[in-house]
Amino acid sequence: MGSFFHRHKGVTPYLLLAPGILWLAIFFLIPLAFLGYQSLQSGLFPDFQFTWEFSNFSNAIRDYHEQFARSFVYAGIATIACLVLAYPLVYWIAFRAGPWRNLFLLFIVAPFFVTYLVRTLAWLNILADEGPVVGVLRDLHVLGPDGRLLATTFAVVSGITYNFFPFMALPIYVSLEQIDPRLLEAAKDLYASSTQAFLRVTLPLSAPGIVAGTLLTFIPAAGDFINAALLGTPSQAMIGNVIQAKFLESLDYPSAASLSFLLMGSILVALLIYARIVGSERLTG
Amino acid sequence: MKRHALTVYALLVVGYLMLPIAVVILFSFNKPAGRFNYVWEEFTLDNWVHWNSILGIQDAIITSLEVGLLATLVATVLGTLIAIAIVRHQFVGRGTTNVLVFLPMSTPEIVLGASLLTLFLNTTAIFQLGFGTIFIAHVMFIVSFIVVTVKARLIGFDRHLEEAALDLGANEVTTFRKITLPLIAPAMLAAALLGFALSIDDFVITYFNAGATQTFPVFVWGIARVSVPPQVNVVASAIFLVAIALALGNVFWQYRSAKKTQGAT
Amino acid sequence: MNPRLTRQQLLRRGAAGATLLSLPSLLAACGGGGGGGDAGGGELKDVLNFSNWELYIDTAQTRKAAGLTGPTTLEQFTTESKIKVNYYEDVISNSEYFATVQGRLRQGQGVDRDIIVSTDNDRFLGEYLTNGWALKLDKDLIPNITNLIDAQASPPFDPNREYTLPWFSGMDGIAWNEELTGPITTVTQLLEDPKLNGKVGVWNSMGDTLGLVMLENGDDPAKVTDESFDRALAVIQKAQDAGQIRRFYGNDYAQPLATGDLAASMAWSGDILNLGDPKVKWGIAEKGGIIWTDNMLIPLGGSVPTASTYMNFVYDPTIAAQLSLGANYISSTKGVKDEASKLNPDASANTLAFPTDEMLSQMHQNDPAMFSNPDYEKRWLAVQGK
Repeated sequence: MGSFFHRHKGVTPYLLLAPGILWLAIFFLIPLAFLGYQSLQSGLFPDFQFTWEFSNFSNAIRDYHEQFARSFVYAGIATIACLVLAYPLVYWIAFRAGPWRNLFLLFIVAPFFVTYLVRTLAWLNILADEGPVVGVLRDLHVLGPDGRLLATTFAVVSGITYNFFPFMALPIYVSLEQIDPRLLEAAKDLYASSTQAFLRVTLPLSAPGIVAGTLLTFIPAAGDFINAALLGTPSQAMIGNVIQAKFLESLDYPSAASLSFLLMGSILVALLIYARIVGSERLTG
Repeated sequence: MKRHALTVYALLVVGYLMLPIAVVILFSFNKPAGRFNYVWEEFTLDNWVHWNSILGIQDAIITSLEVGLLATLVATVLGTLIAIAIVRHQFVGRGTTNVLVFLPMSTPEIVLGASLLTLFLNTTAIFQLGFGTIFIAHVMFIVSFIVVTVKARLIGFDRHLEEAALDLGANEVTTFRKITLPLIAPAMLAAALLGFALSIDDFVITYFNAGATQTFPVFVWGIARVSVPPQVNVVASAIFLVAIALALGNVFWQYRSAKKTQGAT
Repeated sequence: MNPRLTRQQLLRRGAAGATLLSLPSLLAACGGGGGGGDAGGGELKDVLNFSNWELYIDTAQTRKAAGLTGPTTLEQFTTESKIKVNYYEDVISNSEYFATVQGRLRQGQGVDRDIIVSTDNDRFLGEYLTNGWALKLDKDLIPNITNLIDAQASPPFDPNREYTLPWFSGMDGIAWNEELTGPITTVTQLLEDPKLNGKVGVWNSMGDTLGLVMLENGDDPAKVTDESFDRALAVIQKAQDAGQIRRFYGNDYAQPLATGDLAASMAWSGDILNLGDPKVKWGIAEKGGIIWTDNMLIPLGGSVPTASTYMNFVYDPTIAAQLSLGANYISSTKGVKDEASKLNPDASANTLAFPTDEMLSQMHQNDPAMFSNPDYEKRWLAVQGK
């Protein structure tokens, strides 16, 4: 077998790739093709016909541009919130936590292990109108006497922020961990100010982590529907809620498929713009 | 002063991350008065002892574990092979491969779930919704994360070791077994853990493709419509505590082996 | 390969009730789903798989509350028939349950259930029946079918009761949390009172919510016109725009009513009693309510004899009385109230399980044509932001 590889060196990478790439082709690319096929159908459940129904797409934009916009805005705010919350934490873990590093890393991943829905339902209890958090905020006059946290944009964006936090924190940590501390010392020797050392050395070196984290947070956030469904009102409905309802409530598969395509397409466009700004090598690694 | 501000901020963020988990664990010990578990009544261990007294919860968690283990195993093998090919070989189509691996990660879960469902519904003679389709879906969305994780490690390693082995007459398979595999084993383990975590936590993709089979998250989605029994908190807490125990074990093991190497030098 | 053709062929086979001769499948190796498989179902089994809504049957706890003694009806059934019941409370909404099983049903596959329930004032009961996804009852095994009340004998979706039998009926009304508001007696008050802003729940099911609004508008919910639909939808849209409505709920409004996240909500009759929280009250709206019925049916792959045996069991008036008292919903079995009074002299006072004639006179039914109108459905989702 070894000699086979030696004789056919060019074949080796393809043999290594074949099983995984086939899997992705059959269960990722072909389904996308089916989705495309479905998105151009018309008719009513369960008898849809393929009719090149391009109006599904124009109708989707006409009827749901608001939910699209909302999804991107919420995902954007949540991504920034994740960055603001995560960066100092992982910076502290990487440079200050010493022997406790791994323990604190564990705290970042921990929410993953308490099922998504269960942790979101826990927030529902914590932020309840008559619950302790709202009570304190009302006493402090941060909220009015009838003020609330649940069923608001704040609740939905906070839920998204919480649920996708590890996707932001981990890549940044990885990039910070790789920084050679001697570089920082040298920088301090040269620039004297620790702020400058951070801005000129640490921040640029952690940029790949920030880029990866931003993507890994923004993409699932834009397609999320759980947070808006459990923590919001219809005024906070995101495009994920529409797709979910079209697929699983009204069985309107063609609309659901065209909306899915538009969501994927708009995310890819956003990615391309992002790639232009940060350089494409950083995106695909 | 500044140092302390950072520490305080970091600990506050950790507190924020832990708060819902603490609530979940706390209420796993509650003895609710009615069917609703949201007011603290009294401490009990009943829920932990009779964790499977809710019909369907045991099957759901078993399905979750089975899917998680099986999908992680398959995805780790497939993903590692792709990572090796990309990092260690020059070949035509490398860029395309990179993009294909990247695309599932850049596609929202709801689109992945929905598109797979349309495939399954249109190929009914081959695919019946259930355990098999959940497994297929999980491998599909985990693979990319495995590739990325293993690739990151492979890039960091010195490939001269492998070249030296080849020069010394070892064939590729032996080199892989004796050199490459031990080098990337920790990365594969890390990737597998990430994959398992993603699998066991996944709701959206599973929800679309599960048919009548229930994983734990799908079970929770259903039962949460009326009331979440404390047994759900028990299972969630248990998954969390097992994960913590494994991770602490890993921390301890690393600490020990670090000490050992220190002793050796 | 033409996938569309394949699917249609399968559908036809499924509808004919024939066993699906599936190709050796990749998934068989993975153990896809267990059970099910066949579209027929002739044999009596010793296990019955039953999917129902939550809080919809007597339990030890609810029997105690209703003054009943002895084992639950499920236990009685097992003792009597030697058939074990796996009772799944996994119907979370008609649409989502349908969506999760329809894939397998379309494939002509079973769904590992012998009985499922679906509500008559929704689109999906009709979908099961018209697509041929329900199996015929074995009436020879259901002699108690003679106890079915006349009002339920020939519903439009199943005129001869060949495929379905009622499980429970229930009434649409309004519930409120006494600590947060006084009694809410009209739909207008619920949807417009500024004191309730952001703390009002309505259903996500079109028939129930718009039905109540139509009654309030003076329109007949049993005969929906485009105009009356528009009027009702406009009322909900207005309340939604004003921020009055917190969410469109499935059957998950009871807990937020108790916690105080909701001050008031449209609510089904038995749910509030089952909540067992004295501060949450329920009443019929002044302009009347909607009455609906959940129907049992046997999906493809279910065991007809096993399911029929169970259905016969629940149409025994003594059993029906216990079920009604234990779940606080309305039975369609003749003589159920008399039997209930024998079990517990105070039972007839439970007007949720045994509504008075006056209450029933306030009840109306939905127009079935409303549910098969895709335009209505689309606009109903749109008002929910979807």
